[in-house]
Amino acid sequence: MSDGPLIVQSDKTILLEVDHEKATEARHAIAAFAELERAPEHVHTYRVTPLGLWNARAAGIDAEKVLDTLLRYSRFPVPHSLLIDVEETMSRYGRLRLEKDPQHGLVMRTDDYPVLEEVMRAKKIAPLLGPRIDGETVVVHSSERGQLKQALLKIGWPADDRAGYVDGTPHPIALEETGWSLRPYQRLAAENFWAGGSGVVVLPCGAGKTLVGAAAMAQSSTTTLILVTNTVSARQWKQELLKRTSLTEDEIGEYSGSVKEVRPVTIATYQVLTVKRGGLYPHLELVDQNDWGLIVYDEVHLLPAPIFRMTADLQARRRLGLTATLVREDGREGEVFSLIGPKRYDAPWKDIEAQGYIAPADCVEVRVDLPREERMAYAMADDADKYRLCASSETKTDVVERLVARHANDQLLVIGQYIDQLDEIGERVNAPVIKGSTSVKERQRLFDAFRAGELNRLVVSKVANFSIDLPEAAVAIQVSGSFGSRQEEAQRLGRLLRPKADGRAARFYALVARDTLDQEFAAKRQRFLAEQGYAYRIVDAADLAKD
Amino acid sequence: MSSIRALAEELSARGNDALRRLFAARPDLITPGVPDFAALAARACARVSLQRALESLSKPQLQVLEALVLTTDEDEGRSGSAVELRHAVGNATLGTLDAILAELSQLALIYRADPPDSIHSASGSRRRYYQPVARLREVLGSYPAGLGRCYTELTSVSQFFAEKAADIVNAIPAAAQQQHVEHHIAAAYALERWAALPEALESAPPKAREVLSKFTNWPVGAVPHAEARVRPGRKTDNPVDWLLSHGLLVPLDDEHVELPRPVGLALRGGRIVPGLALDPPPPPAATTSTALRRNAALGAIGEVLRLVSGLAVEASERPIETLRAGGVGTRELRRLTAALRADSDQTVLALELAAAVGIITLDVDTSTWRATAAEEWLALSRPEQWLRIAAAWLDTPRVASLAMAAEGGGQLAPLAGEGQRPDAAAVRRRVLEVAAELSGEANSAEGRAVVVRAEDVRTRLEWAQPRLARRLRGLLDGVLVEATMIGFLGSGAITRAGSAVVRGDYEGLRALLEEILPQSVDRIHLQADLTAVAPGYLEPGLARRLALLADPEGRGPATIYRFSAASLRRALDAGEDAASISAFLAQHAEAGVPQPLAYLIEDTAGRYGRIRIGRAGSFIASDDEAALAGLLREPSAQQLGLTQIAPTVLVSNATPQEAATVLRELGLAPAIDSSFDPAVRLQRSRGGTDAPRLPTPEPRPAVPSVDDVEAQLAILRNQSAVVANGDEAAPMLGIETLQKAIRLKRAVRLNIVDALGNSTVEELRPVSISAGRVRVFDPERETERVLSVHRIIDVELA
Repeated sequence: MSDGPLIVQSDKTILLEVDHEKATEARHAIAAFAELERAPEHVHTYRVTPLGLWNARAAGIDAEKVLDTLLRYSRFPVPHSLLIDVEETMSRYGRLRLEKDPQHGLVMRTDDYPVLEEVMRAKKIAPLLGPRIDGETVVVHSSERGQLKQALLKIGWPADDRAGYVDGTPHPIALEETGWSLRPYQRLAAENFWAGGSGVVVLPCGAGKTLVGAAAMAQSSTTTLILVTNTVSARQWKQELLKRTSLTEDEIGEYSGSVKEVRPVTIATYQVLTVKRGGLYPHLELVDQNDWGLIVYDEVHLLPAPIFRMTADLQARRRLGLTATLVREDGREGEVFSLIGPKRYDAPWKDIEAQGYIAPADCVEVRVDLPREERMAYAMADDADKYRLCASSETKTDVVERLVARHANDQLLVIGQYIDQLDEIGERVNAPVIKGSTSVKERQRLFDAFRAGELNRLVVSKVANFSIDLPEAAVAIQVSGSFGSRQEEAQRLGRLLRPKADGRAARFYALVARDTLDQEFAAKRQRFLAEQGYAYRIVDAADLAKD
Repeated sequence: MSSIRALAEELSARGNDALRRLFAARPDLITPGVPDFAALAARACARVSLQRALESLSKPQLQVLEALVLTTDEDEGRSGSAVELRHAVGNATLGTLDAILAELSQLALIYRADPPDSIHSASGSRRRYYQPVARLREVLGSYPAGLGRCYTELTSVSQFFAEKAADIVNAIPAAAQQQHVEHHIAAAYALERWAALPEALESAPPKAREVLSKFTNWPVGAVPHAEARVRPGRKTDNPVDWLLSHGLLVPLDDEHVELPRPVGLALRGGRIVPGLALDPPPPPAATTSTALRRNAALGAIGEVLRLVSGLAVEASERPIETLRAGGVGTRELRRLTAALRADSDQTVLALELAAAVGIITLDVDTSTWRATAAEEWLALSRPEQWLRIAAAWLDTPRVASLAMAAEGGGQLAPLAGEGQRPDAAAVRRRVLEVAAELSGEANSAEGRAVVVRAEDVRTRLEWAQPRLARRLRGLLDGVLVEATMIGFLGSGAITRAGSAVVRGDYEGLRALLEEILPQSVDRIHLQADLTAVAPGYLEPGLARRLALLADPEGRGPATIYRFSAASLRRALDAGEDAASISAFLAQHAEAGVPQPLAYLIEDTAGRYGRIRIGRAGSFIASDDEAALAGLLREPSAQQLGLTQIAPTVLVSNATPQEAATVLRELGLAPAIDSSFDPAVRLQRSRGGTDAPRLPTPEPRPAVPSVDDVEAQLAILRNQSAVVANGDEAAPMLGIETLQKAIRLKRAVRLNIVDALGNSTVEELRPVSISAGRVRVFDPERETERVLSVHRIIDVELA
């Protein structure tokens, strides 16, 4: 056996030894078909999934190449069942094709008669199909193109959609590359996308996803709908498009909670599109009633369910998905694949590292011992109250005080869930508290002051913490509660904590009460953060001074 | 002359080398040894031995043998040679037939006989004539070469047909030949004659001939209401009715019909064997790359070793429970599957292999499987382990795949008594041999290996050993699945290790395994997410200690161990402490112990033992602290082994009664508190010192050994008379005589011993013989009786 950096497990995970001399080479090779699952310091875990394999197939990589990669870099024999599985899975993609027939319109075609026979008998698929033309071809109702693709993916026969797209209303858009130019990988991503028709481009944060979108728009030169996560992001898009393309202020419209403009290029938020009134989505008609030539989805991994439903009906329009990760907390990666399209471009890992995306903050978990009375109260409390009791312990406030004193010159945020606790901390460390009841204006003022450095400490509640315009800080102290999902937590941490000017890593403190529920939650967070590659330490409150 | 005597003479005339070849081909002839050639010949004619010998025959050999059986008649002295057979066997030259006959003769399945009288007169013929040995007809079954019986036999089998035969003949002018036939024997002869004529078949309507073509390979078929459809002389359009009414099909009972031999022969154009299948079917053409084969085989070998060792550890920690009906139940299987991190089929295989190797044995007292040789197993090197698995699997009569869900089985519980097949060992060996043969024959390109599928093995076996193939059929698929899981086959092709096992080359295999199995590792990666990754096969000791400290996860060559407070507490329970754990991890960690893990260890160990548990025989409690303090210092209370665990409580090693007695002697008045009655369940100690040893695998010795053969030859050659009526040959000779009498319907003089030991000589007519009993007709008393063969001491044709 070779002395490769990979160990291929029979549970379909691939372990990569990071310190191996061929690790980078192997990482590049497997990134095409396996998803990174965990990235702690020495051994990274990738997972081989059907979607990953189909993405690879859509990118023109065949099973033989995948097998070859596995065998070449694997240190031990690769489980034979996995090899067979890879071959089998990959051979399923594209056996069914959606095509445009001059006579019959949209049709599904295959060279493999039994496969067509099988899917036509599937209960969920039969109603989506029209009359059968011959042994290998069947008519598809054009309105069911998206539904059909979803259903086919579910039963394991993902279709290759070659039926093409409507042109959309032409509208001239050009890139204005004066004083800047597209980076090579951005150009490549846009080209790959255009050649593939529709699909997803995966780029790390800060790698210039907007520019890939702009390049795609220029290529399309049609009216374009851009769907983004929130208003801030909508404005960023607008700024960027004005700066980089021939588009003018009048040509770009914003369609959000406050403004509803429909222009040749319209930027809409997910939120406004998914507003529901009387069981209907009144704003979805924005999408339906205009002849868009291109639809751009920003942050595909956060795409809400109603947008998926809407997207299912838009299969005749070109769709570009932009994201930093294909992994979705809700496990709907399959819908991204079937409705928006396969992965068309994935940035090499090295770029991600160069962006300083990974390995940013230094995480410290501070364990505090509850005093005797609090422990007794905790032991006897109802289950419902337990977390509140341990999370808002008195002792934590003391520790916060010490930490704040220690980082007196840094921009520092204290984050928590319980208002009483936050109010008390605010008083003790002499910092304003932002909570749900704080007016938007006041909040904006405080945030601006914090950003400007006029204010160097802030206490924010969980509610405020969820607002997207939370300023960056060098130190964050979390006293209670957690950030939503684990995925979100890691991302927020990454965004919130930027390295300090002198190059020292930002620091994240989590205060945890020993032997309580708090510690249990913390253990899950620790595992996740460590798996994401964050440096992680645990310190006793008593030992903080030594740290 | 009796065939046994004839064979005995022929055998004694053979050279030693010829005998050695015979013994090698039919080892059961001299295991155990025989005293003389007569006994040897008798054994060669025994039913079981013949069955075995027939299983070793290839398709062309069997075809020729069957043709010879059908063309010869011992009682009429009609022997056969290549010349006669050439008419009966298509696609054969005299040379091939002679060669095959010589092979059959070498195997003592046929013996040299005098030419038939007609040939005898025409002297000068140097052709060899043969007769099949006695009982061969019986062992071959009722339908040799797939042909039915003669009309005469059928009249004796079916009473109904006997009654109708004359009517049938009389309704067919060509068969009756203007005579009115009355008796069924005469009718049978008439039919025999007529059916052999081409006109008989030609007279059949086309549809009837179509029906007949379905009987080409096997003479018996199912026809509902067969007897009622025999209506000689009546016109009918139904082809089956026509055939039945014309005697071309004969009803056996109301549901079944048989195609009589003359008709069958006519259908085959007069040949018993239409075409001799001289050439084996071609080897399979599909190939796989040797790299893939190697990868698959190594993967399988690594995995099976992991499973069996895992099971050894698991079973030594907790015996494996069985169901009342025997075997391991679903729940227990699921537990083991989770513990082994495998799928259930792998667990089934691991269980069966562990039992076959002798790592686990059934403890009859508790009905659990205990790891009686786990330590010994784990101490073996990995090549040695695989070698033992391979050897045990080859020889075990148990078939693991019967309990595997993948094979459509799964009805059986693993390790259940029903999972046994006496043929299993022979089947495995043969299947692997065939796979090796096929791989050897196919001309695969460099870097490619032949893929041997179940279908290929089946096809080849049906040619090479048709009679054995029938028995193999049921087990074949399962054997291939198991072989793949163990690493005999990889990516469908037989592996180097697999072919070494087939050759019995255990030394070469050891060397091969040493070379291909990766070295064990003793380094681990410790990570901040509280995991340890073992990048490969860990040394067993290291793996066990790590498994105590952390919970293993993941399936495959590498194992991930996840540390948690609970897993560390388990280790602390087992006597570890923070220092020993840290030292152990630091010693094996590639890059030190990450801080979060170090913290977890310190933290868990630091708070371990806040609640302590110990064992005491009794407690002594009192509110009077001074009294207890006094008691502690009292010399005569020392025998109680007192310890103070609180100011008001002492504990003692003694039982409450003993303690009370001592305290009373000291002038105290203790009250025994009966509200505490601890019931202590004693745990059985682990496997004792007399644990069974693991057997060492050896290549199966050639049976019988060279020495045995030589010793046997010496004994045979020392015998002065060729046919001594030795003890062993006598019963066989007697039976042969009885069978002859049955065939010829003649009476015999029997010397019979009754239950009291008195012998009497009676003249009786034997009717049938089977399973050690003879049915005889007593003409004097006009009754039938059944005699045990072992009570007959002498038989003579009357």
